[in-house]
Amino acid sequence: MTRSTLNQWFRSAWPPFVAVLLFLTAWEAAVRFFGIEAWILPSPSVIAQEASSSASSLWMHTLSTLQLTLIGFAIGSTFGLLVACALHLVPLLKSALYPLLILSQNVPTIALAPLLMIWFGFGLLPKIIVITLVCFFPVAVSTMDGFAQTDRTMLNYMRMIGAKRTQIFRKLEFPHALPSMFSGLRIAATYSVMGAVIAEWIGAQKGIGYYMILQKSAFRTDRIFAAIIIIVVLSLLLFLLVTLIERLVVRGGRRGASSEGGESR
Amino acid sequence: MNDREKEAPVKLELSGLRKSFGGKRKPLPVIGGVSLQVRKGEFVSLIGPSGSGKSTLFHLIGGLLKPDSGEIRLDGRVINGERGHIGYMPQQPALFPWRTIEDNVVLDREVNGAPRRESLEEARRWMERAGLAGFEKAYPHTLSGGMQQRAAFVRSLLSPHELMCLDEPFSALDAFTRSEMQAWLLDIWEETRRSVLFVTHHIEEALLLSDTIYVLSGRPSEAMRRIEVPFPRPRREEITETPEFLSLRRELTNLMKEEQRKSTGMPSARQN
Ligand SMILES: Nc1ncnc2c1ncn2[C@@H]1O[C@H](COP(=O)(O)OP(=O)(O)OP(=O)(O)O)[C@@H](O)[C@H]1O
Ligand SMILES: [Mg+2]
Repeated sequence: MTRSTLNQWFRSAWPPFVAVLLFLTAWEAAVRFFGIEAWILPSPSVIAQEASSSASSLWMHTLSTLQLTLIGFAIGSTFGLLVACALHLVPLLKSALYPLLILSQNVPTIALAPLLMIWFGFGLLPKIIVITLVCFFPVAVSTMDGFAQTDRTMLNYMRMIGAKRTQIFRKLEFPHALPSMFSGLRIAATYSVMGAVIAEWIGAQKGIGYYMILQKSAFRTDRIFAAIIIIVVLSLLLFLLVTLIERLVVRGGRRGASSEGGESR
Repeated sequence: MNDREKEAPVKLELSGLRKSFGGKRKPLPVIGGVSLQVRKGEFVSLIGPSGSGKSTLFHLIGGLLKPDSGEIRLDGRVINGERGHIGYMPQQPALFPWRTIEDNVVLDREVNGAPRRESLEEARRWMERAGLAGFEKAYPHTLSGGMQQRAAFVRSLLSPHELMCLDEPFSALDAFTRSEMQAWLLDIWEETRRSVLFVTHHIEEALLLSDTIYVLSGRPSEAMRRIEVPFPRPRREEITETPEFLSLRRELTNLMKEEQRKSTGMPSARQN
């Protein structure tokens, strides 16, 4: 069982792996062949070299960004989840606030960052607020969708056997909404890294975003590439973390679409 | 039905039940005066054309809907619009995919506050009878359709409420699995003797299982015929070949055909 899943994983992992390898090779070859200057487009080997020589400072900035991301993600997701539950359980609240919630999704949250800096200074607080806002919407909206899509037959069954409102919520609606909630969390995970970096661009003394701004003014394209790679890796890690938690929490055959193909074989 | 059962107290009584859907302007009368009785320990079937409001009738009994008029009495008390008095098996199994079979089966008891240990013991016993032994910790999606139906049946069997309402439990099964399940249900019911209200389209199934059959007319439906099934208990499937069974079946089939024809508004099948 474990061996076959490992095998399967390997089989689906090698084609993209080879594709990336080919892409890097082509990149390297093109840079050398056309003699492109490093400040325009550094070759992968140059980026790797630079990354390893400035590893300690990159690591410091990465940790700072990671911390910011995790705090913002945790607060924003919790907040989104609580609001979704509250709106679902109090229909009046929902009919009053849900349309506003959907409308306010059109406000580009990131654009509020400069405003927040003016109001709350350049410390941790405005940055956390930005990430919280960015994470809040996808979690709240998809969790509420999950509640709304509760299976009618199951709902009728619970009512017929005399389940109380809280029992229906705890035993049916909440577990039913979990897959949908996790797809919101996955989106929030990627957004939160982006939110952190942008918040750092606007005003910070450390973090990957700050590092990028610094290197930009020095035209150190190689270091900017290293920073981009770190951002991608951070997003991926957070995404995987959410997926892992989903695997532990969501039971039975109804996980997100990503794992469905694996189970059908 | 023997004499002792004839005197059994009435468990469920519907009298003059009416229900329409849709607004005041253009109401769709679905149930137009249904009256019937289920005695304690009696197996009562309800057959009627599709769309005649059989599921709606269960929703009324379960308190999901309120009748426009008429009374639902359980043990003599009016329970119009009250929930949580019956064991119920919906038309689709509606097992909760995130619960193991064992946890699904005890759901009704859990909701009604029965101690978990006891429920699980009871569950194990009946799951074994249902051929679900070894699947206690499995999730519903790993079970076949027939097994899911049996799990949903055991769930209603474990309900702390005496009356069981089963809504076409076998309609989604193939003919062979279906007749297997009928034999199995017959067995279990004759052992437990719960009061059962059973909905089906299937005339043979109704004749094989029931003490009493009510035939519903097409929409708006009323219970237009009540038939007592004379075969003694315990019953075996062999009775389906007796002349008495065949003549009852013919009678019911004709009745149903006529109803189906009326409800589709066609004068006869041939003129179609
Ligand atoms: N909540 C509802 N709102 C409006 N109309 C409804 C509602 N529930 C049922 N109906 C209508 O009532 C009629 C009877 O439906 P019902 O499901 O009770 O039939 P049924 O006898 O169980 O049919 P089947 O044998 O196909 O299961 C149908 O015409 C249906 O459209
Ligand atoms: Mg029905």
